[in-house]
Amino acid sequence: MLQVAGLSKIYSAGDHSYVALEGIDVAINKGEFFCLLGPSGCGKSTLLNILAGFEPPSSGSVTSNGVGVTGAGRERVMFFQDAGAALFPWLNVEENVRFGLRARKVPRQERDSIIDKYLKMVGLDHHRDKFPSQLSGGMRQRLQIARALAVEPEILLMDEPFGALDALTRRNMHSVLLAIWQRTGKTVVFVTHDIAEAILLADRIGVMSAGPRASIIKMLEIDMQRPRDLTDPKVAQLFRDIETLLAPDMARLEQLNSMTVEN
Amino acid sequence: MSQVSAQPTGQSSLPKQGRTNSRAGGRSSSGRFRPILLSTASLLIALLLWQLLSTFVFNPFLIPPPLAVIRAAIPMLLSGEIFADVSISMVRVLVGFFTGSLAGIVLGVLLGRVRLLHDLLDPIVELLRYLSPTAMIPIAVIWFGIGEMSKYFLIFWGTFFIVVVNTTAGVWRAPITRQRAAECLGASRLEIFALVVIPSAVPYIVTGMRVAMASSFMSIIPAEILAADSGIGYLLQKSSLLLQTNRIFVALLTICILGFAVDRLFRFFVDRVLTRYMFYIAIA
Repeated sequence: MLQVAGLSKIYSAGDHSYVALEGIDVAINKGEFFCLLGPSGCGKSTLLNILAGFEPPSSGSVTSNGVGVTGAGRERVMFFQDAGAALFPWLNVEENVRFGLRARKVPRQERDSIIDKYLKMVGLDHHRDKFPSQLSGGMRQRLQIARALAVEPEILLMDEPFGALDALTRRNMHSVLLAIWQRTGKTVVFVTHDIAEAILLADRIGVMSAGPRASIIKMLEIDMQRPRDLTDPKVAQLFRDIETLLAPDMARLEQLNSMTVEN
Repeated sequence: MSQVSAQPTGQSSLPKQGRTNSRAGGRSSSGRFRPILLSTASLLIALLLWQLLSTFVFNPFLIPPPLAVIRAAIPMLLSGEIFADVSISMVRVLVGFFTGSLAGIVLGVLLGRVRLLHDLLDPIVELLRYLSPTAMIPIAVIWFGIGEMSKYFLIFWGTFFIVVVNTTAGVWRAPITRQRAAECLGASRLEIFALVVIPSAVPYIVTGMRVAMASSFMSIIPAEILAADSGIGYLLQKSSLLLQTNRIFVALLTICILGFAVDRLFRFFVDRVLTRYMFYIAIA
């Protein structure tokens, strides 16, 4: 339902131009949990921004349900890593969720029940009157999820959403996210640099090379039952395979970084 | 997870970050009153020291002891002279402050949102802001005379530049992430501006206004010394001419108390009315 064809993104400043992405082709299916996995700086966030409609591609096309993506759209909601920046600190938990419903002009009578439903789903039902500054990192991300789901998008675009959380909270959030995904049947495009995270969550992983000229070097179908166990030999092998796949790009990045350090 | 209440402590109009563990306010039975007790004790000790030093060490004409100052203050209080001067000065400050803040917020927002406008006007602002209200006194007198208008203008001038700069900063610092999040949720451009950018800028605007208020207080005095026939500054000037050090000290103390009280009132107002707008979560 989300089709990307021949996409590239070039940033130019004066004489210099930086080709961030080149030749991206991917079709994301309805209800799929799709992961974009790659090293930092490979342009996966850029790709997600283009999918969300915040930035236009330099060439190629992005279509959502057959309609070209030209800006933010009802059916695609972006979910940010920095919950502190994304949430509205002057609104409490309930009001944050209400914001989207107001903006989308959902009929007043329905608003309360929608808010109830999603706050219960993420387990923030008893924290309605709290403000984001009073919530922990994990709770803030759950609020973001509730807020995004309340406007009932078809696609959730998630940009390394759990990157800022501690490892234990992150594991918890994985279960929360998977439970919600299985319950609501949304399509999820999840960006990460964590191989383990991608394997645990995704139906399909698009492994990206490092920039510049980043592209999807391999599409992997993960046909395993959830919940997945990292200690399972099959999973472990997959982890090693992906690591091997990314090794040349990691080495190249190392070289680039060490060169700048020496200079 | 520990649940930290973000209720205003009344101690600060600065934005409240994340989950602070404020120990200054203290919740234990002794902790609650500690700051007040310490402040009172400190002031009493200072007064005592002043009394002793003025009586036995310094020339009491140069530094009158507190008791002499109080003796000079009483007739001034009883005749209502002090209150008249205070209210005259306060009106001048408030008129200049509110008009300056309003104009500063409006222009600050415009400069923050309209790139062209900012590029055009910023060089002018950056030059003019170095003209303190005191520097502007001579020209203000020529333009407006020594009546109320010149005072309003001077306070307006001082307030305006401070508020503009802080407001523009606040508008720029409204996180792009938050604006994009609102866009995804379906907000229109106008809604994003009014419901996301402006509320995000409030802590910065408030900070600017608080600084401008203090500056206004400091600006009114030279204006009234040099170019007025009423107000606390004029009282200072008059007492100086008559070598009435006691009365000078009364005026100085009045300024201290007044400035302190107004700032506290401002903070109280902000903490009560604008509580939720003063939360912000530090952006990494």
